[in-house]
Amino acid sequence: MDARNGDLRIGVYVCHCGTNIAATVDVKAVAEYAAALPGVVVSREYKYMCSDPGQELIRQDIVELKLNRIVVASCSPLLHEETFRGAVAKGGLNPFCFQMVNIREHDSWVHQDRQRATEKAIALVRAAIRRVALHKPLEKKRVPIHPDVLIVGGGIAGIHAALTLANAGKHVYLVEREPTIGGNMAKFDKTFPTLDCAACILTPKMTAVKKHPNITLWTLSEVTEVQGYVGNFEIAVTRKPRYINEDLCVGCLECIEACVYKQAKVPDEFNLGLGKRRPIYISFPQAVPQIPVIDPETCIDFKTGRCKKTCIEACGDRHAVDLKQQPKQETIKVGAIILATGYQTFDARKVPDYGYGVYPNVYTAPEVERLINASGPTGGEVILRDGRKPQSIGIIHCVGSRDENTNKWCSRVCCMYSLKLAHLLKERTGAEVYNFYIDMRAAGKAYEEFYHKLLEEGVHMIRGRVAEVTDWAVTPEEEGKLVMRAEDTLISFVRRVPVDMVVLSVGLVPHEDAKDVRRLFNISCSSEGWFLERHPKLAPVNTFTDGIFIAGACQAPKDIPDAVGQAGSAAAEAMVLIDTGYVEMEPNTAYILEEECSGCKTCIPLCPYSAITFLADKKIAHINEVLCKGCGTCVAACPSGSIKQNLFEDEEIFEEIRGVLANA
Amino acid sequence: MAVKRMIKYEVERDPQFAGWVAGVIGGERVRNCIQCGLCSASCPLSPYMDYTPRRLIHMAREGFKRDVLGSFTIWLCTSCYSCTVECPRRIRVTDVMYALKRRAIEDGVYPKRFPIPVLASEFGAMIRRKGRVTESWLILRVFLKTAIIRLLGMSKLGSKLFFSGRMGLVPESIRDRKQLQTLLDAVETHKEVAA
Repeated sequence: MDARNGDLRIGVYVCHCGTNIAATVDVKAVAEYAAALPGVVVSREYKYMCSDPGQELIRQDIVELKLNRIVVASCSPLLHEETFRGAVAKGGLNPFCFQMVNIREHDSWVHQDRQRATEKAIALVRAAIRRVALHKPLEKKRVPIHPDVLIVGGGIAGIHAALTLANAGKHVYLVEREPTIGGNMAKFDKTFPTLDCAACILTPKMTAVKKHPNITLWTLSEVTEVQGYVGNFEIAVTRKPRYINEDLCVGCLECIEACVYKQAKVPDEFNLGLGKRRPIYISFPQAVPQIPVIDPETCIDFKTGRCKKTCIEACGDRHAVDLKQQPKQETIKVGAIILATGYQTFDARKVPDYGYGVYPNVYTAPEVERLINASGPTGGEVILRDGRKPQSIGIIHCVGSRDENTNKWCSRVCCMYSLKLAHLLKERTGAEVYNFYIDMRAAGKAYEEFYHKLLEEGVHMIRGRVAEVTDWAVTPEEEGKLVMRAEDTLISFVRRVPVDMVVLSVGLVPHEDAKDVRRLFNISCSSEGWFLERHPKLAPVNTFTDGIFIAGACQAPKDIPDAVGQAGSAAAEAMVLIDTGYVEMEPNTAYILEEECSGCKTCIPLCPYSAITFLADKKIAHINEVLCKGCGTCVAACPSGSIKQNLFEDEEIFEEIRGVLANA
Repeated sequence: MAVKRMIKYEVERDPQFAGWVAGVIGGERVRNCIQCGLCSASCPLSPYMDYTPRRLIHMAREGFKRDVLGSFTIWLCTSCYSCTVECPRRIRVTDVMYALKRRAIEDGVYPKRFPIPVLASEFGAMIRRKGRVTESWLILRVFLKTAIIRLLGMSKLGSKLFFSGRMGLVPESIRDRKQLQTLLDAVETHKEVAA
């Protein structure tokens, strides 16, 4: 074997993994075969190598038999490489003088022929034994972590994560692109199943964000650039002009009253176009920050430059109105990032059968939320677009959900919010309410009970998907109404139900620009466009990019309790990073053989992590170990072969290949 | 076989009937029904029913009065109570069936030549008149109203029962019929008050 390593003393450990491996691989034969290979001092098989006694076995052998290389043949390194490296270190050996062989996922789980699976295990173990001989002792590098956290999105998830971290003493930057924080929840009337008023439970948290000394709140702002890596991100934030100086404004709102527009004429975004606002406005009475915003698209001064500027006059000596405000760039350093960018609702126009945008009395559920909200455009009275009050209302579930033509997924919240709206609409109008549903999904604490409450209230439950909403009447009773046609599958009859108002329970979909956000932060999306978690069960707020966490509905449709739960979890994960104070970097980084580098610069533009720089004085390339992720691109590209990579040196890989093929 | 037009218009719904069902004794919880179908699955007679108990409950609470009261389902119920015992929402399905039977007789909308409702109404009428049931006369009346021809087929069994003294032709009666009628009247009045 390699002379560099002197006297080789290898220990080989073959794991049964209960019957996971032992049922398909003859572990005893593997261990016996390994024992006869050159350099192997001891070769054992054991029921569970990852157990405490299993690890202790390795430690003892290292001490007693003076082993200097260890091979463990068991499961995937993803699960237990760290475990065994720890055991090796406990024995006093460098943890990188170790090689793990995956004979479970790569062998026993995917084969049925016992004899051939055993042969494969033997080949893999032989390869590892030959490779490990060349392993060098390596050290993990430690990099300090910046203690600040960036949270993108000021909905309920972002707010909760920000407050959690801030209360723990961490400094948080909360970046929100709208003029106010609060997100979707701020637009809701009441929340299921408790019927708490959404604003009553949300606005105290919003105010707390504004007041918290540890939170820097930037509204009307977007992250435009992300550099760096876990623990040391450098973020560029663009702050769009509000045209009101936030430091000078006291929130008296007199400028709004003073606007030359005496009547509100511009469709109000916050009320989804159901109400009107002036060019200078505040989204809703409890908006945070409590500062007006000027919309340059509709402000006369921006359009013509010839406004009387009554707003500036009204502001007087405070001089908070600043029509010359320009976008501002901020650059911040943070150690961790939480993305809580939320969702948007499905565009009901994509299902033309339901007549949204055609019949004025067809509403989407978010519109109804505003319509029944006391601070909404009608002061909470349910008045239809044609001025009537509805006496019968049909609610269609699963619009843009559970449909191969639109979105395959269940949006999880629509059943419950439909029931909530059914209750509120019945309460406010006394109308007959019909719920057209496919399945009733009420899985949550007190959700099923809420469904029963609605059943008792006498809301009609018709199990069947509505085929169309039409104003074509076939009976005198249907004249002037919207007729909903569906099969009531519970009684196997097609029914025609004439109503005054149709509510479309639109599903949740990823933001249109979620893909851009994904690229900006270098994280993954599922095929549907939701941000991808590292593990759907065991790492639901982690992403595949270290230091970036996700919370709330940007990961998948979820209700408020789940979003808050996830936000707390993401905050805790960020805190683990920060309080540890440093990150350990895998030593699988590339390094340059300085005497061989010709300084051709081929590698520099290829590095996806900008880890390679050119040392002008020595005329050679230099790799920053902290930035290097060990992807190996530069190693393969170097024309003179003068870049090498720890743990993946050419000799190690060739020896491994020779080991696999030795008896072939 | 004939092609039938099957559609339900909203005008066919009788909201008052739906309210009545939810108000009768035993019907208090029909709105709680989650349509799981356990009643139909546990029912020994459901294979013969035109609407299974689950479907009937939903039609009743939606107010499709004509279909519900005209269905065979309520008459096929033998009141074994297995649906009521097993219902996860504690709906007293059997009691609802009884209420619907009574209503169908009151409204005169039961299937006219189907023996079970005829038997039920004749049984009630005979008790009201005589205080007792005379089986020979009861059977005679039922068959006269449903299928006279089938009576001939039963003659052999009838004469056997008659000659072995199992069935008499003398109408039976209780002594003080007035008292019973007062009693029944009181129940009727109470029912109306309760309704």
